[in-house]
Amino acid sequence: MAITKEQLDAILEKYPAKVAKSRKKHILIKDASQESQIIEANTRTVPGIMTNRGCAYAGCKGVVVGPLKDMIHIVHGPVGCGYYAWGTRRNKAKSEDPTKNFLNYCVSTDMQESDIVFGGEKKLAKVIDEVVETFHPNAISISATCPVGLIGDDINAVARAAQKRHGIPILAFNCEGYKGVSQSAGHHIANNILLDKVIGAGEQEAAPAKFAINILGEYNIGGDGWEIKRTLEEIGYHIVTVMTGDGSYEELKNAHVAELNLVQCHRSINYIAEMLEIKYGTPWLKVNFIGIQSMIETLRNMAIYFNDEALTKKTEEVIARELARIEPVIEQYKKVCNGKTAFCFVGGSRGHHYQGLFAELGIDTVLAGYEFAHRDDYEGRQVLPDIKPDADSKNIPELHVEADEGRFRLKMSPERLEALKKEIPLSNYAGMNIDMAEGKIIVDDINQYETDELIKLLKPDIFASGIKDKYVVQKMGIPAKQLHSYDYSGPYAGFNGAVNFARDVSMGFSSPTWNYIVPPWKNQPLLIGTVTEEGVA
Amino acid sequence: MMENEMKSCRNVNENPCNMCMPMGGIIALKGIAGSMVVLHGSQGCSTYMRRHIAEHFNEPVDVGSSSLNEKGTIYGGAKNLEQALDNVRRVYNPHVIGILTTCLAETIGEDVERFADEYKQKNGLQDFPLVTAPTPGYGQSHDEGYWFTAKRILVCLTETAPKHDRLNIVIPHISPADIREIKRILGLMNIEYTLFPDISDTLDRPHERPYTKMTSNGTALADIKTMSGAAATIQMGVTVEDSFSPGKYLKDTFGVPLYRVPLPIGMAGTDQFMETLQEITGQPMPASLAQERGRLLDGMIDSHKYNFQGRGMIFGEPELVYSITKTCLENGLHPVVAATGSRNARLGELLQPSIADGGEKIHILSETDFCHIKNYGEEAGANIAIGHSGGRYLEERAGIPLVRVGFPIHDRVGGQRLLSVGYTGTMLLLDRITNTLLENKHKSYRKKMFEQFYQAAN
Repeated sequence: MAITKEQLDAILEKYPAKVAKSRKKHILIKDASQESQIIEANTRTVPGIMTNRGCAYAGCKGVVVGPLKDMIHIVHGPVGCGYYAWGTRRNKAKSEDPTKNFLNYCVSTDMQESDIVFGGEKKLAKVIDEVVETFHPNAISISATCPVGLIGDDINAVARAAQKRHGIPILAFNCEGYKGVSQSAGHHIANNILLDKVIGAGEQEAAPAKFAINILGEYNIGGDGWEIKRTLEEIGYHIVTVMTGDGSYEELKNAHVAELNLVQCHRSINYIAEMLEIKYGTPWLKVNFIGIQSMIETLRNMAIYFNDEALTKKTEEVIARELARIEPVIEQYKKVCNGKTAFCFVGGSRGHHYQGLFAELGIDTVLAGYEFAHRDDYEGRQVLPDIKPDADSKNIPELHVEADEGRFRLKMSPERLEALKKEIPLSNYAGMNIDMAEGKIIVDDINQYETDELIKLLKPDIFASGIKDKYVVQKMGIPAKQLHSYDYSGPYAGFNGAVNFARDVSMGFSSPTWNYIVPPWKNQPLLIGTVTEEGVA
Repeated sequence: MMENEMKSCRNVNENPCNMCMPMGGIIALKGIAGSMVVLHGSQGCSTYMRRHIAEHFNEPVDVGSSSLNEKGTIYGGAKNLEQALDNVRRVYNPHVIGILTTCLAETIGEDVERFADEYKQKNGLQDFPLVTAPTPGYGQSHDEGYWFTAKRILVCLTETAPKHDRLNIVIPHISPADIREIKRILGLMNIEYTLFPDISDTLDRPHERPYTKMTSNGTALADIKTMSGAAATIQMGVTVEDSFSPGKYLKDTFGVPLYRVPLPIGMAGTDQFMETLQEITGQPMPASLAQERGRLLDGMIDSHKYNFQGRGMIFGEPELVYSITKTCLENGLHPVVAATGSRNARLGELLQPSIADGGEKIHILSETDFCHIKNYGEEAGANIAIGHSGGRYLEERAGIPLVRVGFPIHDRVGGQRLLSVGYTGTMLLLDRITNTLLENKHKSYRKKMFEQFYQAAN
């Protein structure tokens, strides 16, 4: 099912002219005959338009920094910001030393009016002292919220002084909510500090085992990372660190020793991936652990990179065994799912990643998009030189790194690297659009109004998105699947994750609950006419 | 004897017990028919709060944002706010719009009241009901945000009106099920009323086809306008500061007599509400409610032998904490901790006389966090926690079972359906508490008996 340009224009017409003009650039109907279809992304949200986007603080503390389990994450600001990011991402962590897992804590400086007037630096310093005394964390992060930057608290100076006092790393993140245009700004800010202050702080000079890798942009939602690890470790990979799901400061500081960086969520972590290559000579591979075929392809690409006979053999053995085990299980779910259609609108990578898995179940993704992605996540990294920095992106500092004299090491000959790049997505991401079929809709930063209108036109059978739009969609009689927190389910990554996802989606379609709800088009006759004795007139 | 511990000497807030001011403001505005809310500030505020409210109520929660960014912090946010209002009006066609500020807007000194006047002038909307409420996150907690915004709604919308017979029923933030129960009681008493603010339908809507973004339910604008002419106001808010009190505002401005009563939870609490209704209207209590009262009493007698073994930690919004603490006391369940994250001095003052001299200590904590609640509770041998789902860590870390009530409830479904007010609601709440005590006891009963009598004997 597709929509026409005219139908799309009719939706946009309801907007004031200026808004319509702006939103038009954020919506594409896939047309493969055009060499490049440009989409506008990572620009300011239209005020009052009921976006799903969050703020820089959410991207920094909530997404990238928050999952590091052996750190205490201090939210410097009013109590709400801390509360709202407390355990809401469902990133799981377990720790060998249970006294060093602080993921369930919410620690705030709880700024009051007097702190806004007189400054919050002294209170922050005292909070750091109390946190060190109470928790003895391996490191501390300080995330700034809106008022902090406005009143001019120097959290970097407070962090430096406290680090001296306590002898543990204290990282300051200037991720005030108003920076940039979405969470994306916060990802960038977090990436810069983690690369600058943490990665490389460890003393290891070489990986302790063969086939050492880092997994970047994997946040262990509902245990995704654990399922991925299960397979990778069985094949023989040594995982140095995961950024940042179930990750830790202690592991992250030695991330420089890996031979390869895997990038799952390109949007939130590509800055680190790129800088690691410049600084340590470690290439990154765009992977996708969501969906059976994507998982298999990822494993094969990794084997190609390492070019080791035993590793390749083991890879194929594991793939064959896992396939034989899960295919019959998935088969029964396919019967329920086959022929259905989906909307897939998620943050900055899942809008793309889940399309393959939907397709394997026989579900056609008719609309997809991202909340806070950039053009390269849609069109591929080749557009990067064409993206002109605007006032908002210029406000986010760029970290310029150079090759680390002692630790930069080419992982293979430049010739082989260039040859490999033609074979596997090495240090490249081709974006989502290329994988979308003709006529499919691509929407950037979709809002509530557009969601409603496009649902009416395309009548998807399932809507994959987040909690804010989930209930509207369900009120419209359509099953919704939360792909931010998985509706308390998961894992959805890897082989077992694909089975879980198939089960959950099938349940969404086949729950007897839906029998009580009749879609409006079922009440209307499909054929209008009269039946006479001679037959149908 | 009772002790009123104020905020501790620690600076850190470890596992907060409260949220920020605009959160409460959104809830209050959602109780007005045909209303939309716009938060003036970073879009993260509206996104986070929508998420939290949606997860509790399992309902769509649309809250606009002026999406201020770095440029706005330098040049002011009027242009963004104007655009936000334009777009919200166009897509939702609301009958009322509430503008709440955030930390960002307040820190850069946005004057939304003046903005609202100018916006109305510019757009020929002189009569459009636009409510403004300065609610910086660093101001106070979501509890004060709720009351303050409720008062601002009246300040902005209530007009001088001829006297009429309806009662104003001003309620704190309670569940939709509780609101429906209060309406049922008022209906049984044949009382005409304006219940304010009323989220019972707006945040707990039936599945309907076709789905419409706006519902006509909630407190009607026309009723809000004439709350000034009511026979009396009953405000279920004894812990509310005068400066935030909607009932006090109606009394001072329009001379509407004010009756402050606690939430009708517990025998005495519900009796007080019923007596106040009878006193104002002269209507007797209907026989069916008297029967409900009798059943509650019967049930309280049946359960007292279990409840007296309970040692409770009660936490959340002050009004709920006050009423539940009193309910525990009248059932022999000793509250070792009564706590709120809000800065509320009245809670302690009010609980003081209800505790007989010589009784066991109650830790009354204001402006506190879960770290303190846990420490005080554990020290005092607490075996049951009663409050919102922020307290799930008490269950996970200290093994103290949690009876979920209040807001938010994120780790269970049905927070919107929890009924705790009136004689019937009190019975249901009490059963949840008693059964939690029993369940916890039975979990380890055989093991304990074995250890105590069999192993010890050998």
